[in-house]
Amino acid sequence: MLRPIKICIISRHVKVRQPHILSRPLITGPPPNIPPKHYQTPTSTPLPHPTPLDPSFQPDPETGDGKPLYVPGSPAERHASQGRRSSPLRRGMHESWWAKEMGWFNAVAKTIPTFRILDEEGNLVKDGMIPEVCQTHLQLSFTYKIMTLIPVVDNVLYQSQRQGRISFYMQCAGEEAAIVGSAAAMRSGDEMFGQYRESAALLYRGFPLNSLMAQCFGNVEDLGSKGRMMPVHYSAPEVGLHTITSPLATQMPQAAGVAYALKLDENRQGDCVICYFGDGAASEGDFHAALGMNSVLGGPCIWFCRNNGFAISTPIIDQYAGDGIASRGPAYGLDTLRVDGNDALAVLTAVREARRRAVEGQKGVLVEAMTYRVGHHSTSDDSSKYRPVEEVQEWTVVDNPLQRFRAFLVNKEWWSEREENDLLKKNKADVLKAFARAEKLPKPKLGEMFNDVWAVAKGEEVPHVIIEQRAELGRLLKKYGDVWEPWRRERKRYVEEGEDVMDCASRGS
Amino acid sequence: MPPRFSLPCRSASAYFSKRPGPSVLGRLRGQHVDAGLSSPRRARAAPSPPEAQGVEGEPSISENQLLLSSAQEALATPGLHFTDGHGPLGPTGRGRQTRRMNLYGAIREALGTALGSNPKAVIFGEDVAFGGVFRCSMGLMEEFGKKRVFNTPLSEQGIAGFGIGFASVGATAIAEIQFGDYIFPAFDQLVNEAAKQHYASGGAYPLPGGSLTIRAPIGSVGHGGLYHSQSPEGFFLGAAGLKVVIPRSPIQAKGLLLSAIRDPSPILFLEPKILYRAAVEEVPIDDYTLPLGQMEIVRPGTDLTLISYGLPLYTCLNAITLLHDPPATLMPLLPDKLRPPRPISIQLIDLRMINPLPINSVVEAIKQTGRVVIVHEAGPSGGVGNNLAGELGRRAFEYLEAPIGLVSGWDTPVPLTFERFYQPDVIRVFDKLLETLSY
Ligand SMILES: Cc1ncc(C[n+]2csc(CCOP(=O)(O)OP(=O)(O)O)c2C)c(N)n1
Ligand SMILES: [Mg+2]
Repeated sequence: MLRPIKICIISRHVKVRQPHILSRPLITGPPPNIPPKHYQTPTSTPLPHPTPLDPSFQPDPETGDGKPLYVPGSPAERHASQGRRSSPLRRGMHESWWAKEMGWFNAVAKTIPTFRILDEEGNLVKDGMIPEVCQTHLQLSFTYKIMTLIPVVDNVLYQSQRQGRISFYMQCAGEEAAIVGSAAAMRSGDEMFGQYRESAALLYRGFPLNSLMAQCFGNVEDLGSKGRMMPVHYSAPEVGLHTITSPLATQMPQAAGVAYALKLDENRQGDCVICYFGDGAASEGDFHAALGMNSVLGGPCIWFCRNNGFAISTPIIDQYAGDGIASRGPAYGLDTLRVDGNDALAVLTAVREARRRAVEGQKGVLVEAMTYRVGHHSTSDDSSKYRPVEEVQEWTVVDNPLQRFRAFLVNKEWWSEREENDLLKKNKADVLKAFARAEKLPKPKLGEMFNDVWAVAKGEEVPHVIIEQRAELGRLLKKYGDVWEPWRRERKRYVEEGEDVMDCASRGS
Repeated sequence: MPPRFSLPCRSASAYFSKRPGPSVLGRLRGQHVDAGLSSPRRARAAPSPPEAQGVEGEPSISENQLLLSSAQEALATPGLHFTDGHGPLGPTGRGRQTRRMNLYGAIREALGTALGSNPKAVIFGEDVAFGGVFRCSMGLMEEFGKKRVFNTPLSEQGIAGFGIGFASVGATAIAEIQFGDYIFPAFDQLVNEAAKQHYASGGAYPLPGGSLTIRAPIGSVGHGGLYHSQSPEGFFLGAAGLKVVIPRSPIQAKGLLLSAIRDPSPILFLEPKILYRAAVEEVPIDDYTLPLGQMEIVRPGTDLTLISYGLPLYTCLNAITLLHDPPATLMPLLPDKLRPPRPISIQLIDLRMINPLPINSVVEAIKQTGRVVIVHEAGPSGGVGNNLAGELGRRAFEYLEAPIGLVSGWDTPVPLTFERFYQPDVIRVFDKLLETLSY
């Protein structure tokens, strides 16, 4: 039953490893025998109703309200089926009919096409048009700027981890278009949940380089996690980024919660949530919990999957046997699109439309961006142990999201070589400056270890166990902080060198 | 391609003290003879277990006396039982072979031995096919095939539940959870299903021969922060039916893991990840087991009993050494009666299993010394220390001459930048020894 799908996935891989890479035909649309589109799903389509409809309910023939998803046929047909569906046997089904043959199936759509606007060389695909949303040259060049900034940030921080100057790092090489393109489609008031590889989206939203570096060094300017979290675990409510934590997919049900809160909040009508996650994270129970809750309870949320082919060493063929992540959207009744994640224009366009649907329908929308993780998983990983280096090189040459987007901009005369050179110089200078600054700053006060464990109401005291344990460390520091060499050296790294903790009378700062 | 450039080198006086000096690292690497699988490139490149961190003023883990560096010592390990039924002299009577192995090498040995000796055993988890992010299953897929050593989709609850099911029909499931920090999605399967299965089914499930072992790395490496340094063992103390084992060294790990795999109870096998590379011992290469559920007295002593498990045992031994031979700067802090050359004799106990606790033998031990200090990395609340101290206080009240001491992490998440001051390090154990001895 699963075989056709598997073949499809494997053939993707085979294609990637073809030796004559450049002679490979560029995919510019669906195969001719497959209709390019499935059923139209208007934005106004509400959530499928989980409970039996009131028998007296009539779908509005004008707006199609009450119209189930992915169902062909006239409103009259649907109207007729309405009565049938009120049978307890048919609860929770959009539309079904009695059949005397068994009709086994393993996919909802025969094939899920991948939406793209530009081909690998940056030309518009056959008969393609530039969508309206992409015609403002300013936004596109800003998108491009962030896409070129992030490799510099990543490179500097990656190398610095290699030299032992920061403890850990994760790059997004290869996924610049997916990350920045989607960030560009959002609005400033929107809420964002990241997995961990989306620093570029954060930069797009205006998170300063200095703050980014401060977090990676865990220095005194790291306002997000106060030195407590590993690098790339940003937390920036000021730009709508919810704290990044390492456990995978835990952000997803939380995003469903935020979406529901937005739906209820009169002052936030029009705002939207975007929740990023990986192809690996999508195997966690939390993924299913999140889509299930969001599909039933509603609330504007874009579920943005970065399908980059790998979860650390695990290739997607070991991760799922269905048709990618997109195939799961219809199972939850979500509007779903698969997009070429290396095509910044397509991602921007797709997520804009996803956002419109999410906000207008107050519901979840799933976007699966197909891309490739060019870098190692993290600084703790050496991907040459599980994939050929040539495969990676091929992706950077044949399907480089930066080059693709740049070629398009240059063709349109929206970008020039001079601008490119200036930008590269500026990026390098900016990043190195922020880096050098962050590295010189000391670590936060040692007492930050004990702060914020408990949320304490105004006028209340921190729970006693914290006060006592802090005082115990203070006592030990007083006794050994100067005479025990490892401690004497270590405490110099912190602002106030641990004196704040030694002041045992203090009640947190 | 993004531009590449190198960074200026950091000055020697930088405050950064994350990495061991070149000498420490060099020595460590020189010692790796892990089943012939490490090449110089492997040793340098990631994916890599965290580097052991030399702290100046403290001996490195690899130099710790807990580690047995000769074949004789290794073969004299208490409780060592060779599966072939012969003693340490082996079937030929001419002795047995040992090989220098680090902890991940020893785990890999145990896994290979389990697969080789039991055709119904399988190994699975996230990224295990290529060797696992900590290299514990390196080469096993090549040796035993994809059907027996395989990647799973990324779901810890799936991994645990799958293992329970696999074992329930009489097969042997050996699962890996990539980090102890990520075991919580599996908590329901482990606590409500694995732990209770035997009880709920009136002893019928798992069917005879069935066994489930879940391995996970735990503990702080000095720079893991909230989600790569946790010690979650305390959460499992209430899971009656689920054994929790924590080895301290390569020899122990191989023997205890093989015992665990062959034990009918579901077992959580928690490996201190900083030891994967840093701890190197002469490990017997034959199939052997160590007894499950028995604590081990790793150093005899009469004045105080120091109780721990896993990594902090190394810290404990360092603290004992420090007490015997304190540097001049610490000397003024010692009360007269503890100053050298007064011989202070401290007993060191490795619990090895924390659920169920080997309580009776620990009680007998502390009755001899009358003073107890417990050390572990997790915070005190809901942890092994308080659990054990409660039992000891009740059972040996009249033998105790001082309150039971506990040195542990704090009741906070593990904070990246402050990890050095979170962990129970040698000076904190030293201080608690002083306090308890002079009470
Ligand atoms: C619950 C949980 N399990 C395991 C891990 C370890 N881990 C970190 S990243 C990762 C792979 C994730 O892959 P994917 O979701 O595809 O994201 P990508 O790294 O490809 O961006 C794993 C297994 C984790 N962080 N959390
Ligand atoms: Mg991935």
